[in-house]
Amino acid sequence: MKKKNRAVKTKMTKAEKKETLTGYLFVAPYLIFFLIFTGIPFLVAIGLSFVNVKYITQLDNLKFVGLRNFEKIFASKEIMQSLWRTFEYSLVYVPLIMIVGFGLAVILNKGVYLKNTLRSMMFLPYVSNMVAVAVIFKVLLGTNGPLVQGLRSLGFDPPILLQDIKLALPTVAVIAVWKSVGLNMVTYLGALQDVPKELLEAAQIDGANRWQRVRHVIIPMISPTTFFLLISSITGSLQNFTVIQSLTDGGPGQATTVMSVNIVRTAFSKYETSLASAMALIMFVIVMAITLIQWRGQKKWVNY
Amino acid sequence: MEMKNKIIKGVTTLVLLAVGLVCIFPFIFMVSSSFKLSGDVMKFPFTLIPDPFTLDNIKGLFTNGIYNFQKWYVNTIVMTALTIGIKIFFVSFTAYGFSKIKFKGRDAIFLVLLSAMMIPSDIMILPRYMIFKNLHILDTMWALILPSCVDVYFVFLLRQSFISIPESISEAAKIDGCSHFAIYRKIVFPLAKPAIATMSLFSFVWAWNDYMGPYLYINTMDKQMLSVGVKLFSSGLTQDYGAQMAAATVVLLPILIAFLFCQRFFIEGVASTGVKG
Repeated sequence: MKKKNRAVKTKMTKAEKKETLTGYLFVAPYLIFFLIFTGIPFLVAIGLSFVNVKYITQLDNLKFVGLRNFEKIFASKEIMQSLWRTFEYSLVYVPLIMIVGFGLAVILNKGVYLKNTLRSMMFLPYVSNMVAVAVIFKVLLGTNGPLVQGLRSLGFDPPILLQDIKLALPTVAVIAVWKSVGLNMVTYLGALQDVPKELLEAAQIDGANRWQRVRHVIIPMISPTTFFLLISSITGSLQNFTVIQSLTDGGPGQATTVMSVNIVRTAFSKYETSLASAMALIMFVIVMAITLIQWRGQKKWVNY
Repeated sequence: MEMKNKIIKGVTTLVLLAVGLVCIFPFIFMVSSSFKLSGDVMKFPFTLIPDPFTLDNIKGLFTNGIYNFQKWYVNTIVMTALTIGIKIFFVSFTAYGFSKIKFKGRDAIFLVLLSAMMIPSDIMILPRYMIFKNLHILDTMWALILPSCVDVYFVFLLRQSFISIPESISEAAKIDGCSHFAIYRKIVFPLAKPAIATMSLFSFVWAWNDYMGPYLYINTMDKQMLSVGVKLFSSGLTQDYGAQMAAATVVLLPILIAFLFCQRFFIEGVASTGVKG
């Protein structure tokens, strides 16, 4: 029986052959482009991390140097500090965007007037251009900006947030949350609408108060969305080049020089091609590790 | 009880309205300031209506002789239009192949594509630079357009929406002698228009707002895009607040208009398809 099956499988009919050919014709152009712009670059990036390329265009004189680039990274205080700053940034960004996004969605969903208007207002920053937004924030939070002036007139002595060594990094992270929280909120809103009404009513009849309903019905019901958003928020928080470059250029001093900024700097200002590739590879490994851990841990709290 | 509920609802609305205002205040400040005299921008307290009202900031952008805003504007429009146009056809064509044609190895290939979504784009900036150079598209807008057309995420989304189109429709067309290409063009593509509209809007926003691409791959000033241009401009004129706000307004205007008219597509697109950032 088994043998017969296999014989049927390997011998494609003429129609099947034609179908396969058409199929490949449909996807081939894309696959070629994909190879050129994603597949090959990814492999090249890994390769570059283990050689000694300095100027990006000088590829003669290639030498395999093993883990030398990685040793250099772990020995460099400057790079390790930027890696640490990346974590600090994520530690502000990820919890804040998750909680605020969820909170706004729950409140919006719970019945307010002007629901659609409010939703649009909060989504607007997401579609806006980060660089243009940065220009506005630099003026708003600047030395003579309305915020600083307002606080001064009330008798405070507010810091210039984006130029403060200690506060610049959290400020940038908060602005990034302001920019992207609308997407999390709208995604949550979609998930909340799929929570069955009967379930909430049943909980209410059983005497669950509003908070208990959120805690024991809503949160478990939307855990797949939380899982998806958590992973994409963490990944997003590590790819923060545009936010930081446009707001502070990595300054003041090195205060906001996180890995993404440092990688571009190492590659395009210091021309340390291989070193920059190795730094990017470390970031990639970190992203993969976080995702895998989440993936394994999800069974404990994600309900499908 | 009824009354109490209404009050709660009203208070929550007011609280959220405050949050909403925080979200849009920077844009209000920007638009208002771009019509003010530069010296008035920082005046405290903030006034919504410019007095005196001036168009000099906006005019200055296009007549300053140093920063070529017209050129950047045209570049960005052309680049964005080409990106959207190519992407719609390229991605939908591919998604059709992955959803409506049964061929050997299809699902395996698709799985490889999906797992590539995990690769952060940061890791590819240097190799892409080399490839662009070899293809002679470095310092041209094609270095921005072509990579964004291989967006796996949109292939995935469109494939989902194509799968939800009943198989019986294309079966019937096949019996009538339609080729796959005809089915794609005449049936599947038109039926998936809402998904394609959402995709186009997000492609528009992402292409228009892209900063890293032009920053890394475009050197010639006259080929530059608005995102990089507005940064150059604002770092050059750090004290001229009116001009800076005018520059930001000019960059944001097309997006704000598109959002105003298509907000439902944007927001419901996210909710129904799960677009991620």
